[in-house]
Amino acid sequence: MRSMRWFCALVLILPALGENLKLERTITVPPDAVVRFTAISPKGDWIAGACQDGRVRVWSFPSGELRQAFDLEDQRVTSLRFSADGAWLAVGGDRGGVRIWNIPSGKLRLQLKGGEPVVALAISPDRSLLAAARKDEPAQLWDLSTERVITELPARFAGSLSLDFSPDGQWLACADADTQIRIYESRTGALRATTSDLLLETFAVAFSVDSKSLYVGGADKTVSVIDVAGGKVVRTFPRQTYAVSEFASSADGKILLALYFDETDTAKPAPVVAWDVAAESVQAEASPPQVTPNGGGFLGNGRGIFTSSAGAKLQVWSLQNRGR
Amino acid sequence: MAWYRPSLTRREILGNFLGSLAILSSSRVLGAAEASAPQHRRPTPPNEIGPFYKKNAPKTATLRTPGDPGMPLTVRGQLFNTRGDAPPNAVIEVWQADHLGHYDLDGYRYRAQLPLDPAGGYQFDSVIPGHYPDRVGQHIHFLALASGHKPLVTQLYFATDPVFDGDPDHNFGRDPLLRSRELVRPVVLTGDPHEMQALVHFDLVLELL
Repeated sequence: MRSMRWFCALVLILPALGENLKLERTITVPPDAVVRFTAISPKGDWIAGACQDGRVRVWSFPSGELRQAFDLEDQRVTSLRFSADGAWLAVGGDRGGVRIWNIPSGKLRLQLKGGEPVVALAISPDRSLLAAARKDEPAQLWDLSTERVITELPARFAGSLSLDFSPDGQWLACADADTQIRIYESRTGALRATTSDLLLETFAVAFSVDSKSLYVGGADKTVSVIDVAGGKVVRTFPRQTYAVSEFASSADGKILLALYFDETDTAKPAPVVAWDVAAESVQAEASPPQVTPNGGGFLGNGRGIFTSSAGAKLQVWSLQNRGR
Repeated sequence: MAWYRPSLTRREILGNFLGSLAILSSSRVLGAAEASAPQHRRPTPPNEIGPFYKKNAPKTATLRTPGDPGMPLTVRGQLFNTRGDAPPNAVIEVWQADHLGHYDLDGYRYRAQLPLDPAGGYQFDSVIPGHYPDRVGQHIHFLALASGHKPLVTQLYFATDPVFDGDPDHNFGRDPLLRSRELVRPVVLTGDPHEMQALVHFDLVLELL
C-alpha cells in the first residue's frame, strides 16, 4: 500500500519537475522520525534534520550517510543552525534549551538551560558569539568563551524571529516581531541601525557576502535589501505569491535562495526561488506539486539545494539554474 | 483543569438576562461573576503573535462594515494592570481573519488600534473569524502596550468554536497553541433570531515592570 502511494506521488511529481529541478538524493529515516525541517551547512556537505521522534540527525551529503544523532532530552527541536564553517551545529528546543555540537565528531561544545521556546539561533563566523532568540523574550547575545550573556537585544514586543551575523563578524541582524529590523554591533550588542520601513513581520534575514547589505523577507512576500550603513530599504525584488521563510546565500554572493511558504497552511506545497541578486530577477524557480520545502542551502559547486519530507523519506532537490 | 476567572460585570449579567441567549461553557461562569471594583488581577496569559501582525493599523472601533458576511461580533472589555488600575497612555491593537479565515495583508481589513476610554475600556465591532488550515481554533489577536508595563501579545478564543465540541473546559487543548483555558471566552448571543449578534467580554491585564 505504501509503495503504491509513493508510485502515485512520483507519477504526479515527475511531469512537473521540468528542467529546473533534480531529485539528488532520497534519505530514508525511521517511520517515527519524519523530518520536520532541516539546516544545510554552508558548503552543502552536511544536512541536519529535526525529526518527529525528537532527535536531530546529521547526514553527510551527497552520500546520505547518517553521521550523528542528537537529542535535547525530551525537548522538541525548534531551531537548527550551522556555523559558517559547518563545524558547529546549534540546536534549540521548545523548552528553551540550546546545545552546540561539533560536526562530525559529535562532541558537545555548549549547553544552555531553558525557558521559552527557541525561535532562532546564529553563530558568529569566528564561533565566539551565539545569538539566541526565545519566544516573546529579548534575543540574547552570548560570549561562547565565557558562556555568559553579553547583552539582551529587546524588541518593542514579542521578541525576535530571525537572526544573522554578517560574514565579516561585525554585525548582528535581528528581525523582530514588531516588524523592525535591528542591526547591532556584534561584539557589544550596541544598536547600530533600525529599519522601520516594513509593515509586516520578517521571517528571514541574511547578510550579503560583503556584509554591506541585508536581505530580509517575510509576510510581505518580497525580498527587500537593506543598506546596512544607512538602515534603509534600498531595493525590493518582485513580489511573489507566498511569504518568505528562509534564505541561503551562495558562496560568491551572486545567488540568494529563498524558500517560501503558505502562512495559512504551512503543509501546502510552496516554491523555492534562486534570485539573481544583481539583476533582481529569478534565475531558477521550483514549485513541484506535493513538495513542501523545509530547508535550503547550496552545494560547493554553487548549485542551490533544498529538502522536503515525504513520509519517512527526506528528499534533497537541486535547482539547475537554467532560468525560466 | 486550567485556572479560570470570569469577568462579566453585574450590568452585563443583567443585560444578558433581559433578552439574550447565553451560550456558556460552564455554569460556574455566571455564578462567580465579579463586581468591577479595583482589585489585584492576574496577568492575562500571553499567546503567539502569529505571522499576520501589521503595524500602523487605523484607529477605529469599527472593523465590520455594513454587509460584511459572517456572524456580527462585538468585543468589549477593559485594560488593567495587575494592581487593578487602568494603565495610562495605553494602546490596544487587534487583528483577525475574516469569516472565511483570510487575513488581509495588503490592507487593513479587520485590523485596528482601538480607542480607549479613560478607565481603559474598549469595544469594537467585527465578525466571528473563520478557521484556516494552520490553526485549529477561531481567534482574534490582541497587542496591548503601556509604558511601565510588560507588553502583552495574546489571543481571544470563542467557547462556541465547533472545535471545542461544546466543552472548552476539556477540549481547549485541541488547539496546540492554546495553553490557557482562560483565553476561551463565553459567547453571548443577543438580538432576535433573525438578527443575532455575538457579544464577548475580554479583559486584558498587563504586568507591571
